[in-house]
Amino acid sequence: MYRYDEFDERFVRERVAQFRGQVERRLDGSLSEDEFKPLRLKNGLYLQLHAYMLRIAVPYGTLNSAQLRMLAHIAETYDKGYGHFTTRQNLQFNWPKLKDVPTILELLADVEMHCIQTSGNCIRNVTSDQFAGVARDEVEDPRPTAELIRQWSSLHPEFVWLPRKFKIAVTGAEHDRAAIMVHDIGLKLKRNDQGAVGYEVIVGGGLGRTPMIGKVVREFLPKDELLAYLEAVMRVYNSEGRRDNKFKARVKILVHETGEEEFRARVEEEYAKLDGPTINAPEEEVERIAAYFAAPTYEALPDVSQVLDQARAIDPELDRFVEQNSFEHKQPGYIALTIALKEIGAVPGDMSADQMRAFADIAEKYSFDEFRVTHSQNLVLPHVKKDDLPAVHAALKAAGLASANAGLITDIIACPGLDYCALATAKSIPIAQAIAKTFADQERQKAIGELPIKISGCINACGHHHVGAIGILGLEKGGRENYQITVGGDATEHAALGERLGPGIDAEDVPAAIEAIVETYLAEKQGSESFIETVRRTGPEPFKTGFTAFIESRAVESEAAE
Amino acid sequence: MAKDHRAGSKVRGEKLPAILMASHLLEGDTVFKTDAGWTRDPSAAKIAHDAETAAAMEAEGKAAAAANLVIDPYLVPVDLTDGGLPVAKHFRDVMRQKGPSIHPDMGKQAEFPPLR
Repeated sequence: MYRYDEFDERFVRERVAQFRGQVERRLDGSLSEDEFKPLRLKNGLYLQLHAYMLRIAVPYGTLNSAQLRMLAHIAETYDKGYGHFTTRQNLQFNWPKLKDVPTILELLADVEMHCIQTSGNCIRNVTSDQFAGVARDEVEDPRPTAELIRQWSSLHPEFVWLPRKFKIAVTGAEHDRAAIMVHDIGLKLKRNDQGAVGYEVIVGGGLGRTPMIGKVVREFLPKDELLAYLEAVMRVYNSEGRRDNKFKARVKILVHETGEEEFRARVEEEYAKLDGPTINAPEEEVERIAAYFAAPTYEALPDVSQVLDQARAIDPELDRFVEQNSFEHKQPGYIALTIALKEIGAVPGDMSADQMRAFADIAEKYSFDEFRVTHSQNLVLPHVKKDDLPAVHAALKAAGLASANAGLITDIIACPGLDYCALATAKSIPIAQAIAKTFADQERQKAIGELPIKISGCINACGHHHVGAIGILGLEKGGRENYQITVGGDATEHAALGERLGPGIDAEDVPAAIEAIVETYLAEKQGSESFIETVRRTGPEPFKTGFTAFIESRAVESEAAE
Repeated sequence: MAKDHRAGSKVRGEKLPAILMASHLLEGDTVFKTDAGWTRDPSAAKIAHDAETAAAMEAEGKAAAAANLVIDPYLVPVDLTDGGLPVAKHFRDVMRQKGPSIHPDMGKQAEFPPLR
């Protein structure tokens, strides 16, 4: 893991002291809310429906046990005993008090954490593949790239006041688990024909009210040219991105309105003007950063674990958990394990302080003191010995963290929605809970297979509904909450935006509508096709037909009831 | 700077009776205007039955925001229960009167009796 050097440490401490002063001036009345708001937002502090909300950065989703124990301490001392992992791999506290926030930031700094770049019109916290450094389909670990971008972008004098927020995601793997096609910039580490490592650079993806799939602006960028090229992209955006209309200010709109070819030409023109060597990181700095992400000292083990196989044979629960939640590790004898924060009926992404402490112990003992946050609001133990899996499962189970549904229909992404969020137009979490309860039966979930449902409580799409195989968007219609349903969205290398099935429906009808959609899938499915593969083959039409039939049956039922 | 807040009531049509709702500066908690100042108790909110009272409360809210007591005060149209208590007409404002629907153990619903 990356560790702070003296510059990082000083920078974060200075920011804490600066914010403490700003809060003091707010409390003594020398700063008005209009003056204070941009300052608090630069430090991840929002005002929501019931309280302030503090968003803590988890750079590229990597944490250690000391950090999680500190989050547990903060949750218990300054919040209501829990935290919420987000689709940006960050963590939010929902109930902090303004006067306590400087102290919370101080405690975070003690474990090399902060809230910088979690809000405001800057380059946000960089996200990445939760299986970075672990996956067998990886060209190179994306985390050193993510860390390099973090260091380059933190307080970059040119880019602290962009037209709008700016999100960068990096993957090093063939299979995209970081949703790089729907970020402002997506980077994919790849090899060219000569075997050299570089990046495919994708610009102009995004969700929100105008969803777009990103465009490849560079097929192959040599690895050592990254920062100068990013700087060229940022300069074009910073000078040409719209500042007159917030809804048209993201780079996706600029790329769309300029046209892909023209945008690419402008970036290349800007790039040609830049003095690359003065911007790109020196090789020794790149190596220094990469050294922090060196693989841990694995034991030489056979790939098959007798201990695990025997335990699975006698414990069906363990067997099911391993079958569903494990991910193949590049090191023989190890696996990566997804911990789905999606117990049936739980709030997606929520974790109690007790669970945090228990999980910190597990990560420390069994996963080289490291774990990851996924954009699906789950956690990952990246390096678990297969021999240790029975013990890990038992410890997770004792903490209520052994939900065997990673990737299934009950592993739902949901934004906080109207239960907390000041921007929301409808509730999101209760919809996820109702769907999870409807499909609680394990055998049924297994039969349906992989099916990512993603729910947003407003058009801003924090719940990534556009790229859910089933997407649900909560809006307000006629003074009521109303939900639009899409199918066919995909956040992977097959990136696609979902298509709407029909008119919006009431909250109480959503679970049955999802059942109708699943029935269509099971009827249309060929061979071992997953839900999204079926939609890709059939298109949305059969799903629209099924959905229309569902709406009609509901109308008949409600007429009969009246 | 993008707005991080969607302030103001979303109710269309009849705006009265109304209460005045805001966020408390220090706590971030929802507070309601009373004759004497501000309360956290949704049942103790002062109710404006006429436009003049509502306008006066709104002015007091703005003054309190300027004095850094509260943030984003706005008038919330309400219906009155049989007991005469104000229940917001819009579901978003109801959420603020109660607390998160997923956590009955948190927010005002955990501290104060329901509005009946």
